[in-house]
Amino acid sequence: MSEFFLELFSEEIPPNLQINAREKLFLDLNKFFKEHELKVKGSTASFSTPNRIIINFQHISKNVLKKSQEIKGPSVNAKPEALKGFLKSHKIKESKIYSKSTEKGEFYFYNTPEYKINTYDLLKENLPMILDKINWNKSMKWGSNQMFWGRPLKSILAIFDGKKIDFSYNHLKSSNFTFVDKDFEEKIKSFTNFKSYNAYFKSKKIILSQDKRKEFILNELNKISKRNNLLIDVQENLINEITNIVEKPKIILCEFDKKFLQIPKEILVITMQNHQKYIPTFDKNQNITNFFLVVSDTKDLKGYVKLGNERVVEARLNDAEFFWNRNKSQNLIKQLSDLKKINFFKGLGSYFEKTQRIKNLGSLISDEFMISKEKIEIASSICKVDLKSDLVAEFPELQGIMGGYFAAAQGFEKEVCQSISEHYLPSGLDSRVPKNLYSITLSLSDKLDTLVGFFGLGLIPTGSRDPYALRRYTIALVRLIVENKIKIKLRSIINYSLTLYKEQGYEFDITIVIKELNNFILDRLKNYSKDKDIRLDIIESSILSNDIDELYNGYKKAEILNRNIKKELGKDVVEIYKRSSNILNYEINKNKLELTDTVDTGLFKNDFEKNLYKKIQETKKYFLNFDKNDNYEDSLKELFKFKQDVNLFFDNVKVNDENELIKKNRLELLNLLCKSFDNFFNFSKIEG
Amino acid sequence: MVSNKKNSKKNILSFQDAILNLQKYWSKQGCIILQPYDLEVGAGTFHPATTLRSLGTKPWRTAYVQPSRRPTDGRYGDNPNRLQHYYQFQVLIKPSPDNIKKLYLNSLISLGIKHDEHDIRFVEDDWESPTLGAAGLGWEVWCDGMEITQFTYFQQMAGIECNPVSVEITYGLERLCMFIQNKKNIFELNWNDRGILYKDVFHQSEKEFSAYNFEYANTDNLFKIFDMLEDEAKTLTEKKLSLPAYDQCLKASHVFNILDSRGVISVAQRAEYIARIRELTINIGKVWVASQI
Repeated sequence: MSEFFLELFSEEIPPNLQINAREKLFLDLNKFFKEHELKVKGSTASFSTPNRIIINFQHISKNVLKKSQEIKGPSVNAKPEALKGFLKSHKIKESKIYSKSTEKGEFYFYNTPEYKINTYDLLKENLPMILDKINWNKSMKWGSNQMFWGRPLKSILAIFDGKKIDFSYNHLKSSNFTFVDKDFEEKIKSFTNFKSYNAYFKSKKIILSQDKRKEFILNELNKISKRNNLLIDVQENLINEITNIVEKPKIILCEFDKKFLQIPKEILVITMQNHQKYIPTFDKNQNITNFFLVVSDTKDLKGYVKLGNERVVEARLNDAEFFWNRNKSQNLIKQLSDLKKINFFKGLGSYFEKTQRIKNLGSLISDEFMISKEKIEIASSICKVDLKSDLVAEFPELQGIMGGYFAAAQGFEKEVCQSISEHYLPSGLDSRVPKNLYSITLSLSDKLDTLVGFFGLGLIPTGSRDPYALRRYTIALVRLIVENKIKIKLRSIINYSLTLYKEQGYEFDITIVIKELNNFILDRLKNYSKDKDIRLDIIESSILSNDIDELYNGYKKAEILNRNIKKELGKDVVEIYKRSSNILNYEINKNKLELTDTVDTGLFKNDFEKNLYKKIQETKKYFLNFDKNDNYEDSLKELFKFKQDVNLFFDNVKVNDENELIKKNRLELLNLLCKSFDNFFNFSKIEG
Repeated sequence: MVSNKKNSKKNILSFQDAILNLQKYWSKQGCIILQPYDLEVGAGTFHPATTLRSLGTKPWRTAYVQPSRRPTDGRYGDNPNRLQHYYQFQVLIKPSPDNIKKLYLNSLISLGIKHDEHDIRFVEDDWESPTLGAAGLGWEVWCDGMEITQFTYFQQMAGIECNPVSVEITYGLERLCMFIQNKKNIFELNWNDRGILYKDVFHQSEKEFSAYNFEYANTDNLFKIFDMLEDEAKTLTEKKLSLPAYDQCLKASHVFNILDSRGVISVAQRAEYIARIRELTINIGKVWVASQI
């Protein structure tokens, strides 16, 4: 058993490309060894730093014995040319073949000889092809070379069993050395095994393993923040990125001038986190502090690194402070007309027109929610003004949030500020959903306006393409309604939205918009329910009986039935329905009956019929008095109460009576029974 | 740091000396030292010594200072970090040499920035210029968290695949000097070592040009001028005069930038104007390449 060791040294490769290349290469090598039936034992490793991709297999068999294979040739009755061709293509003499009879007659056969392949030769021959299989999301050329790589590839160190694997890869030749100084590329060193390679870099304080590097950084961050009584909230994607842009991390505690703490904290966090990849810190009351942690890739010998990073943050915060002071005092109302200059979307007018529309939509919704119409109208009018502020130009991800801050600075009421701040929420599947009715109203009207407009222009998402994020908006809409348990008649709001567009001169095909948007919203509800592990047949049945005006109820009923579907309650309700509807449908189809939805009680022949009818009447009364705020589990239980009467009916009554009138009357009774169930929803598509 | 005997505040490299050092350094690396292009451009990349010379197969090494204008970045001289007119030091080498990182790091040493005393990082930055029909892969170079250089391997210019590939190194001179001189405000930079500051040279200009860019530029005229320049560029391209045609294209591009900073170009229009400039560049690029054979 021998060691395989590969290092690809390049100029700095960005984190994602680097990770992807490392994983793909490791996977492909594993596949390759398996394909060639090479035994792999002991530890394997795939490491990367910004400049190095390192693969190591501690023990691989030195060679592999390719066993003899029986190869079938032409039939003995075939023309001689066929046999000649077979011999030629396998480069064998006639003496090596033999004939054997099979189910399909007698054929010639040939046994390939057993042979050994050296792993070294296999690697030598195949490594270039394996390297070619790395699929870079973005790749480049450099100099006069014709090859593509994530960033310029400088050397390939390839070792098997202590020896250099000799091969060419484009303009490069493999070797047993690498550049040990990543920047100047002046010092080279040769290695014959991974152990000495690893030890060498360890002595230089370079952590080759990304996992160990991450662990080291996290430990250091925690240690330093603890020592200084600071709290940190390290974002997973940030720490992953940092891990992959350093090789010998050092954590430095830095600070900025306390005066910047008066700037909205979101700006501080984004400046540090997104722009500079620093870790912001908080005190025990979760207030942001003026301390931050920097992961440097070098020891700060003279204190320049700390000083430099502090200066960068201060320069950026200075800029932000300048904008903050300027923007917060710019009167939001006076800037409204400036929105006329910002196009919302071609064919849907300016942002000014959009805010006018959502103001009216908000006003309509505020009636349903019984909240202050005046506040929602103010919030709608000014919610987009922050788009033209310097701060949002600088920090686009803070749209809305900045508007909220500006409104607060200018003395608008709390609900107005909060709703502006939250009106882009929820922004994704994991994003927070606003709970405040004002925020919900503003978010709903903004999204519905966008959806109606884009559907009006015929820009309906198809397949997986969704360039205008309409799917995301619709999921947001579903979440706003379902997770806040809101009852809202979307149909009338969509209609009103279409009227508002029309008043501004934007005319759409109303029927198409309503139909398509309706289906689109219901599809999103379906996906949302699927994510919540609700069975597809259940949510689909619920959607059939509950349209977009009943989004919450539709979801809730599905959720309740889903929760009970494996329990007695759910099972039995479905079974009672199915038993009745099966007989009913069979008879209707067979006899081409037309039902009148009325039962003649005079035709009842026994108490079983009477009792069932009585029960149906009771259930009817229950659902008539049913308040939509009531518990749907109760409704399910109400239907469950049919169990006894239905069972007794089927056990004792013959539906198929000789008397056609009695038979028809009994089918009418079953029809009414099924209709009672429809009060919950149509169970016909539920799988038993 | 590079010492300067006459400097009373010793060891502080002045703005003008930083330029001189970079010129000297890159001259030693075989770059011809050019002077700034004599038209308003948004970045050193727009100099024909970069755009056009990066096309075709002939080797090319140059370095030059380029005054760059970004009308929307003007702040009336009030903001310590932003200017509508600033300087870039630009290096372009075709084909990109294998040891370019080393060459670059040594250029920092010529400015007194020693590699082992600072955290120098090559941070992913894919570059794209829609107006130039250009794209490249590379990094922004961070020194102790501050971006001091753009480092790009051109992959495409004027819509044409680059072969061989050029490497472009662009130093933001003001930022770099703020770093070297430890200044928090651009206007406080030492221009020379005799007490002249950046503000003495440029503060009034920032104020007046911000007013022009944001308030007084005659937009009706500029829209007309844009159309005229575009026509001229097209005519010249047809006559196979790539360099004069490219000049018109640069002028048009600057006019567009002023219109943009006057806030009279809508989002949809913006895309349209950029597409118009790109079309000019792409056609000029073809004429230039054909003339190089």
